[in-house]
Amino acid sequence: MQTHNQTQFHQQGILSAGQLALWTVAWVATLALASFGPRLLWDAQPAVSWVAVAANLAVGVGWIVAHARYLRSIDELQRKIMQDALVVTLGVGWVGGFAYVVAEAADLIAHDSAIGIFSALLGVVYMLAIAAGHLRYR
Amino acid sequence: MRNRLRELRAERTWTQADLAAHAGVSRQTINAIEQGKFDPSLPLAFRLARLFDLKIEELFLDEEDA
Repeated sequence: MQTHNQTQFHQQGILSAGQLALWTVAWVATLALASFGPRLLWDAQPAVSWVAVAANLAVGVGWIVAHARYLRSIDELQRKIMQDALVVTLGVGWVGGFAYVVAEAADLIAHDSAIGIFSALLGVVYMLAIAAGHLRYR
Repeated sequence: MRNRLRELRAERTWTQADLAAHAGVSRQTINAIEQGKFDPSLPLAFRLARLFDLKIEELFLDEEDA
């Protein structure tokens, strides 16, 4: 019975990881659509752009729920590694984001802020923090 | 927190993967607990103690008492 439950737990973890990966891909796809669609696909029609933004928001909510489910499905050390990585990512996003806003307000940055690059940077920080956590507890 | 996990696992000739499967956690978690890098939650500590038919304080030792 115990082994059966453990197998279920393991399978649930794999299922949740797969769902999280699918939601992540879907969110990135809708973000790309909402970002580049107005210029490349539908000639900046506001109604279509709003639909694309709404789709991105809706998929984003699904992505958050999938992430929460994934965190509940993994064991406590893996959860700690993920939570530590989220703390680092949130810190970098918060501190780096505000530093950028302040620098931009003071006209220290010549070009417009690129939210896509900032999101990608946070993704890289998250992955590096997860890798560092795995190295720490290997 | 010190523990006797490695010693008790060796007595039963279990690998870390065997113990992880019985406890319902990853092998990495068992390894981290054995090395003293990670202290398990109370539910996991009780589960591990039950697997070895021990009381929790016979499996996990407070460093200050040692």
